[in-house]
Amino acid sequence: MGKIKAMTQEWMDAYKAAIEADPEYKEIAKNWEGSVALIVNPDPDKGVPEPVYLFMDYWHGDVGEFVVCDKAKAESAKFVMTGDYARWKQVALKELDSTKALLQGKLKMKGDLPYVVRNIKVVNKVIDILGRVDTLWPDEA
Amino acid sequence: MPNGYAGAILLVDLTNRTTDELKVDETLLKDFIGGSSLAARLLLDRFKLDADPLSGDNPLMIMTGPMVASGFPGTSRFSICARAPQTGIWGESACGGTFGPELKRAGYDGIIVTGVSSSPVYLSVVDGKAGIHDAKHLWGKDIYETTDELKAKDGGLKVLAIGQAGENLVKIAAIGNDKGHFSGRTGLGAVMGSKRLKAIVARGKGRPAKADEERFKEVMKKALAEVKDSALAEGLHLMGSDANMELGMIKGDVPIKNWTVGEAFDLASNLSGPTMREKYLTKEHACANCPVACKRVVKVADGPYRTEEGPGPEYETCATFGTMLMNDDLAAVIKANELCNRYGMDTISCGSAIALAMELYEKGIVTPSDTGGLELTWGNMDAVMPLIKNIAFREGFGDILAEGTLGAARRIGRGAEDMVAHVKGLEAPMHDPRGFHGMGLAYMMSNRGACHLQHAVLATEQGMASWPELFDMEDDYVGTTSEGKAMLVFNSENYGILCNSLSICHYVVYILRPETVLEAFNAVTGFGLGKDDLLKAGMRDWTLKRGINNLLGISRKDDVLPKRILTALSEGAAAGSVPDMDLLLKEYYALRGLDERGFPKPEKLDELGLKELKRRLYQ
Repeated sequence: MGKIKAMTQEWMDAYKAAIEADPEYKEIAKNWEGSVALIVNPDPDKGVPEPVYLFMDYWHGDVGEFVVCDKAKAESAKFVMTGDYARWKQVALKELDSTKALLQGKLKMKGDLPYVVRNIKVVNKVIDILGRVDTLWPDEA
Repeated sequence: MPNGYAGAILLVDLTNRTTDELKVDETLLKDFIGGSSLAARLLLDRFKLDADPLSGDNPLMIMTGPMVASGFPGTSRFSICARAPQTGIWGESACGGTFGPELKRAGYDGIIVTGVSSSPVYLSVVDGKAGIHDAKHLWGKDIYETTDELKAKDGGLKVLAIGQAGENLVKIAAIGNDKGHFSGRTGLGAVMGSKRLKAIVARGKGRPAKADEERFKEVMKKALAEVKDSALAEGLHLMGSDANMELGMIKGDVPIKNWTVGEAFDLASNLSGPTMREKYLTKEHACANCPVACKRVVKVADGPYRTEEGPGPEYETCATFGTMLMNDDLAAVIKANELCNRYGMDTISCGSAIALAMELYEKGIVTPSDTGGLELTWGNMDAVMPLIKNIAFREGFGDILAEGTLGAARRIGRGAEDMVAHVKGLEAPMHDPRGFHGMGLAYMMSNRGACHLQHAVLATEQGMASWPELFDMEDDYVGTTSEGKAMLVFNSENYGILCNSLSICHYVVYILRPETVLEAFNAVTGFGLGKDDLLKAGMRDWTLKRGINNLLGISRKDDVLPKRILTALSEGAAAGSVPDMDLLLKEYYALRGLDERGFPKPEKLDELGLKELKRRLYQ
């Protein structure tokens, strides 16, 4: 199977499958409740002409809806994280620690920050799994 | 008088019960700015450096900076300085709260106290008038009682007080401001106690002038917008400094079981900022002029560790009385914090001393016959509470721990010294250099001993802040490597030191852009200093204090990490990792212009204009 274009529905499906296949995820995320949206700011020079909205539903170790969506749906998520495409790519490739990115203002988050801190292992786990999806990034296509 | 300054330092001689004023030359202010920097310069110029820390000749210096009382975010701070009872070298401890701005409004940039009173006294500084008053009725009371009693006369007074630990010359004694803010480190509460000075109260209506009010208003808007936009500020507001507990545990930052265990996530979870918020927080609290409000007000409603509503523990306290003792009961940490606050003891030092005692107890080096029957098993907080009191009152086994962790280990012997994580006699704070090698170098080279607040390494190495455009630094650092860390520490010290000169909170400095801080400083003082001038002031500060320490006997041999920190952990994010001391020191010594003895080279002293220090070091 070849690389999957980032931020497409196929990519979201592959990400969801990777999480479901992870042997540790279910236990680590057993207390997590709530959806997460990632908003990718446009960067035409890097092949992202429009903002991209991604919606992911996590619930007590299970994963539900994983979709590319519109702005309204993204903003309805319990946690909404926004950042430039280059930052998201760095996070996915584990070149940028998501916590550092948040603290330094490279990513922005709307939602219950203490809840995220409390569940930091879940956050780190899903980022770790994202790195395993064989991805074709827009600026590399 | 120079803009931003009250224009005078109050001199108090308790032996003769006299007061005087010192006017500081503007050139000196431009070079040393304020806070502990100015205190170090005045110590060198005017006082006996090698005075016994608990003698009348050792000046107790309480200093603000030019930003204090300006209204700028985070400028509530003040530094207390003296030769330290715990370490015998340069001692300083910064504090937030209310006292600093009030002292400025009362007409003074600082207070220098010398001498020893024949009986307990307290000092008042109200609208430019100083008075020395009988305090026999306060002696023996704890900090909360003392503060309440002094405020009962005048609720507007801001109080700085010692508890029983300071009175009993405990070497880890702290000084408390309005119950919830502490100058904890290096034992300066004992210096105050040795002078029989129970408290200082301040109240004033003055407003130090600003050089450019309009420019200041503009930079205030900018600063407040930066705070509002900051996730770090949001996290600190919601979870306090203990927001770091779980994140730090994952990254290998949190010491566990007296620095012998590498990871215990569930333990951290029970002690964390989110847990405090859920279970015990009654409200957030702010130091004067702070929009972040990271301080906690907590209450343990019931159970064996019940407390009244009062100041809550910081991250450092949650680690020293939590993970370090293998205690997962946050209520017990809150109670221990309250006891330390009341008696007036540094929670890092006190918790660390008890962690050592527990390890010695486990190894059979200390037994119930030594401890007066207290069973110092890991996590036994029922034994910790009376032990805290014993330390404050120097009773039984507590008298040994009252010497500080290293002092206690030396008295106990039998290998105890190898179990102490310290540099130059000061216990390491709760950030593990095995997870962050730059912090190891910072501990080795901080002028008051192992310290996380004489620099901004915590922020830059762990990624709370990133200032690559300002300094010769990387955008991101890996904790468990020593390469490139000397430059990181050098720059983070030069900037972080300024926090203590300007008397501005480290957290606020991490949140704000450096150019915003610089612009505010110039709007207040009109000094027109650039970034390089300020960083040079940071270098001057570090070198001056280093030279003072050299004169007090410090040299290359003292710039070491202890065996406990150089022993690798077997689990967690820092497993197998220890700082490369030789590499770190080699690079750092070159950057600081230190010779092979660890003394500043003459040309470095010339570059920084430290003529008197050069004369003293090389005459």
